[in-house]
Amino acid sequence: MEELQIQEFVHRVSTDEELRKELATSPESVIMREGFSPRVARIITRLVPHLAMEKPMEVSLGFWST
Amino acid sequence: MRDASQLSISSIAAQQSMLRERLHRLLALLHPELYNDVVLALEGAGKLLSRPDKEINPLSPALTAGVWPLLTLLIAQYVLPDIDLEHASSVAVAVECFVCALDLLDDAEDGDQTPIVRTIGTPRVLNVSTALLTLVQHAILSLSKQGIASTLTLRLLETIQEASLNAIAGQHRDLLAEQRLAQDLTQEECIEIAAGKAGSIMRLVCRLGALCAGADDTLCDQFSEVGELLGVAHQLDNDSHDLYHLLQDESSAILSEEVVDTSKSGKTDLVRGKKTLPVVLAAKTSTPLQETWGSVNEENRQYLQALQEGIITTWGICLLYRERARERLQEIEAQKPIAPALHFLLGL
Repeated sequence: MEELQIQEFVHRVSTDEELRKELATSPESVIMREGFSPRVARIITRLVPHLAMEKPMEVSLGFWST
Repeated sequence: MRDASQLSISSIAAQQSMLRERLHRLLALLHPELYNDVVLALEGAGKLLSRPDKEINPLSPALTAGVWPLLTLLIAQYVLPDIDLEHASSVAVAVECFVCALDLLDDAEDGDQTPIVRTIGTPRVLNVSTALLTLVQHAILSLSKQGIASTLTLRLLETIQEASLNAIAGQHRDLLAEQRLAQDLTQEECIEIAAGKAGSIMRLVCRLGALCAGADDTLCDQFSEVGELLGVAHQLDNDSHDLYHLLQDESSAILSEEVVDTSKSGKTDLVRGKKTLPVVLAAKTSTPLQETWGSVNEENRQYLQALQEGIITTWGICLLYRERARERLQEIEAQKPIAPALHFLLGL
């Protein structure tokens, strides 16, 4: 289940400093090693800069959001 | 790309103008005193009669107004390019009234101090919602005077009834979840609630467009699925961003030991104990804060970290639903290209 894959990966990154460091230096190799589907890999790639909560969240996705 | 965007924006602006004219004709049925309050509701943020703030959306201010009926209209035009505009716009303004009515109910039930609640008070807001729901029926029934087959009119009404019951059930589950501990809810329940609330409404918005244009069952189902996936994504996007922005304020307050008045925003989800997905996910790994945010201790810091993790996970799942919606839309597009304006409006 893709939802669970995302949840577990985010949790691991936020609790594993080594993984965070590796992700910061070589995100592609980490994502490849995890064996994500192309769809989940695209999402994780987009999440990476935000995983440490150091970069502000991107703006809301829908311009129809009010 | 920019030219295509500008073309889409001007095309959308023309459609908005036509829908506003149709909506005003529908509203002319109302007593003047009721009319004023209903117009006030339809001038709310994102509604068809709103006047978007150019500072918020400088590229395309027009796009923030009336997206729901525009989607219905553009999908109808995708299915049947020469569809009668009076027919399609009647269905589209019914969508606008329906979404606005449910938004008002949602705000009243959640006790949100939104601008319209502050201006006219909850009793009048509830009555406006009732009026809008009646106008939904009126707009659809007006199709019979336009030579539309009664079987189609009935199907449209049945579809609206079905979506209403799903949305009401989703809202009810959401209200009941407020009484439960966040630890007791599951990720699946949160997504089911989002699907019931936002998913069923967006599903309706897309399905009515296809249905009123005579699409076959397969195409109706495909557009319905795109709508539902986008609706869930929209809800999760809101949940993650609302909490993110609240945390920005609250974190500052906790670290400086200040107390922040969270009621200023008008939206009170966290204060009311709404069990949104990021809150539920955070509760799985840390103990929720009790009573007050205003104390500095290790438990609070851990919970804030868990909330941040929940926000990122929720946003990731939101992106997942958008990816799924994009794939469904590509399946539709494999049959016939979709107009840039519709792509633009869907954000896909």
